[in-house]
Amino acid sequence: MTKRIRYPLLLCLQLVTATLVLLPFFWMFSVSLKPATEPFAIPAQLWPDNPTLENYILALRPEFQRYFLNSVIVCGATLLITIPLALLAAYSLSRFQFRLLSVFLGAVVLAQFFPAGAMIIPLYKIVRSANLLNTYLGLIIAYITVTLPVAIWMLRGFLLKVPKTLEEAAAVDGASPLRAFFDIVVPLARPGIIATSVFVLIVTWQEFLFALSFTSSKEMRTLPVGMNDYIGQYGIRYGELMASSVMISLPVIAIFFFLQRQFVAGLTAGAVKG
Amino acid sequence: MWMAYGFMMPAAILVAVLMYWPMIATVRESLFTTSFINPKPQFVGLKVYADIFSDPVFWQVVRNSIVWTLGVVLLQNVLGFFIALLLNQHLPGQGILRSLILLPWVLPGVVAAILWRFMYDPQLGLINSFVLRFGLADRGIAWLADPSIAMAAVIFVAFWKGFPFSTVIFLAALQNVDQEQIEAAKVDGAGPVRRLFDVIIPAIIPVAVVNFLLTTILTFNYFDIIYVLTRGGPLNSTAIFPTQIYEIGFGQFRFGEAAAYGTLSVVILVMIVAVFMLIRRPLLSHREV
Amino acid sequence: MPKLKTLLATSALTMAGVLAVASAASAQTVLRFWDNQQTESGLSKFQQEAVKRFEEENPDIKVEVTTIPYPEYQQRLLTAVQAGNGPDVSTVDQIWNAAFAEAGAIVAVDDLVAGSSISPEDFFPGAWESVTYQGKTWGVPFNVDVWFFAFVNKALFEEAGIDPASITTWEGLEAAAPALTDPANGRFAIGLTGNKSEYPVVMTNSMIYSNGGVVLDENGKCALTSPEAIEALEYYKRMTQYAPSGILNAANEQMRELFLNGTLAIELWPALEQPALDSSNIDWDLYAGFAPEGKTPVGTFGGWNLVVYESSPNKEAAWKFIEFMTREDVNGDVVDLIPANVKAASAFLEENRRKPDVILEHLNNAKPRPLSPQYLQVSEIQQNMVQQMLSGTPVEEAAAAACEAIDNL
Repeated sequence: MTKRIRYPLLLCLQLVTATLVLLPFFWMFSVSLKPATEPFAIPAQLWPDNPTLENYILALRPEFQRYFLNSVIVCGATLLITIPLALLAAYSLSRFQFRLLSVFLGAVVLAQFFPAGAMIIPLYKIVRSANLLNTYLGLIIAYITVTLPVAIWMLRGFLLKVPKTLEEAAAVDGASPLRAFFDIVVPLARPGIIATSVFVLIVTWQEFLFALSFTSSKEMRTLPVGMNDYIGQYGIRYGELMASSVMISLPVIAIFFFLQRQFVAGLTAGAVKG
Repeated sequence: MWMAYGFMMPAAILVAVLMYWPMIATVRESLFTTSFINPKPQFVGLKVYADIFSDPVFWQVVRNSIVWTLGVVLLQNVLGFFIALLLNQHLPGQGILRSLILLPWVLPGVVAAILWRFMYDPQLGLINSFVLRFGLADRGIAWLADPSIAMAAVIFVAFWKGFPFSTVIFLAALQNVDQEQIEAAKVDGAGPVRRLFDVIIPAIIPVAVVNFLLTTILTFNYFDIIYVLTRGGPLNSTAIFPTQIYEIGFGQFRFGEAAAYGTLSVVILVMIVAVFMLIRRPLLSHREV
Repeated sequence: MPKLKTLLATSALTMAGVLAVASAASAQTVLRFWDNQQTESGLSKFQQEAVKRFEEENPDIKVEVTTIPYPEYQQRLLTAVQAGNGPDVSTVDQIWNAAFAEAGAIVAVDDLVAGSSISPEDFFPGAWESVTYQGKTWGVPFNVDVWFFAFVNKALFEEAGIDPASITTWEGLEAAAPALTDPANGRFAIGLTGNKSEYPVVMTNSMIYSNGGVVLDENGKCALTSPEAIEALEYYKRMTQYAPSGILNAANEQMRELFLNGTLAIELWPALEQPALDSSNIDWDLYAGFAPEGKTPVGTFGGWNLVVYESSPNKEAAWKFIEFMTREDVNGDVVDLIPANVKAASAFLEENRRKPDVILEHLNNAKPRPLSPQYLQVSEIQQNMVQQMLSGTPVEEAAAAACEAIDNL
């Protein structure tokens, strides 16, 4: 295939993908702009007749701000603890043979098999006996148990791709293993680290079950659990729910938008040194 | 490197306390007549399991869980990979698109499911407005109310929600593909398809394996989508383990049976993953040759 | 394992000393009250005011109100109660009451009722029935409503040239339905449900009750195969041809949206739907459901009861709070359905609802769902039965299978 055909074809493909992926989200945005008193039209409209921001104003109530703060604290702390720990563990796993570590990793992976829905009550009892119900710490600990193993596992895959010869060369040049780790391994593994961070951030940002089970007061709820405020026994407040969801999603997207430059930077680094 | 052990210990303890202890408690509970309305449970051994095995609904749940997991994992990873390839070309608008495709993944599961229940609605839904506009049917299609297509419909939603994960990981893996090898293949006259199979795919296989495994586990235990879209209906056609466990445990207060379902779900998932590992082995060794 | 737990506990305690929620030490009794937030109403404001009033009347008691969104209420309550960490007093759905009693989670209040101002006659008979289990009283009704009322869109009836009052009989509704249905133009006579939820159960129950049938007979045996029940189920099945497509996943929330946008001529809802309709452009009216010619429509009762927990150290204070919340002058301010206290309900309906006498009469006639600790399993079986019969299985066959399952519980 020549470039002349290929390029427009790829552009088309990209457009189709973007449309399919983003259409539901666009509709969600449209619902968030629909006044609550305006009924849903048949057939569905892509854009409301009288768009308004009233749902956003309603959704930005003090509770939402509190949920937002809680989510930022819990997710931020989880991310900041998970990534360095996981990076070190993954590095050891990818460079040295640790039987015990492998066993541990296997055990951790197996733990991901467990059905959360069946464990809620025993888990609740444990968190309660540790006096961690309704605290940030309780949630952060619970999140780390989920994110750390997966992060180790993912990072190990990326670190395996960083050629050992580079570190050996650095060692010959007299660099300490720690220097070699920070100066050579970390930059090369950057795309992997970013991908893993995004994974950790998103998984915790939208986590629901732990956040629901380990918090009890309104003051401690996170954003995803807070969405339940709009779901009643007899109906859903679609407008406000969708408006809140838009506001929940955008910060993460913005973060990734800035991070993804690093993503591409990783690409050049790999090309030069590979 | 003792450091590694040092910080592994707290993690190990946490995993033991927060994951294994509740699981052991769950397995134990499944051997008793545990339920909310029975405060003094009696030991009944495997009786709960025997009852479950003789219930046709259980076997339907097993079948559904396998179909659901396979369907979502394949769609998500295969299409997710192609989308990653697409986003790895140097086309205009990619920076923003790479970020925007994360949207489905960032949405809380419950919200995504409510959105899609609405999208699929036979009367109010956006999908059916297209179906009618393009004359594909003369009445809105009831995607979630037809037992023969409901599973496909929920799988599609899970794919939409989950593919950005695979895409991002593949995208990161593609950054590590050796450009020199690609150039060398080009010089040898390899077309894009051959470069894909001879250079790119072999290079990302380790990451792909992790991706498949992770998505298999996450999908098998994924609760929100089906629970909100169909609650396992119609006629149990979309009932999978996590929804069934919740429905029996919290929906009907039968904790013992929910615990048994939970234990069995681990067994089934281990079996699925074991089959996957058997398939994986020749793949990996092929690459090393 | 216990060692690990202690280890975690101690380390966590030192780390989280600041974060841990410490209970304020005082001589006051702190009463923990849980309720769920069912509708869009700004109820919590009124509840807070009522609680303030209660605290003024009882200076030695401080009430800590936890309002929990409806979708998570069942899980939260069950988890906390099962772990011995439940509230002192809470609302429970009528259909959970027997299970909570059987579980020993809540206390029988017969003695307390006897020594108080509360008397069963003050409440709707169906509501009081729902707190009774095995000859004892396990709580006090808090709020009620009836599944279902038939809300009609007057404009659609006018267009079709049909008198809305004619739909109060089965025969009348069935005669009117074809003229009200025109799928090509997005018109359907009636919103019915068949998804996996409580909705199809309360809807078919109301059909069965209105035809003189029951779900369980006085011996607790399944009565879904009785001629009255079969007839009612057949009727429901026939009517689904005039309902929007996708019945097997049709939920009531969807039917509401379709009524609000003028697609449906009739929607079936509890009376609490009125405020939502008032804020819409629909010109609406309501009837107390429908029954076969010559019979009275009987709806299915729904609502919430107040219960005291066995684990509570403050049972006396809890009871005081219940007395207060169900009092004639308070009950109407603190519920979003209809007060369970009849006098409070009359005043509430007079002030807030159209056709208060129709609603009051329907409330007095309504029947609760089976008062079995295994009700939730009965309901699940009924849900399956409805899905079976709406997807081709003959009604008698589906009902027979359901009865076999129910009688085997």
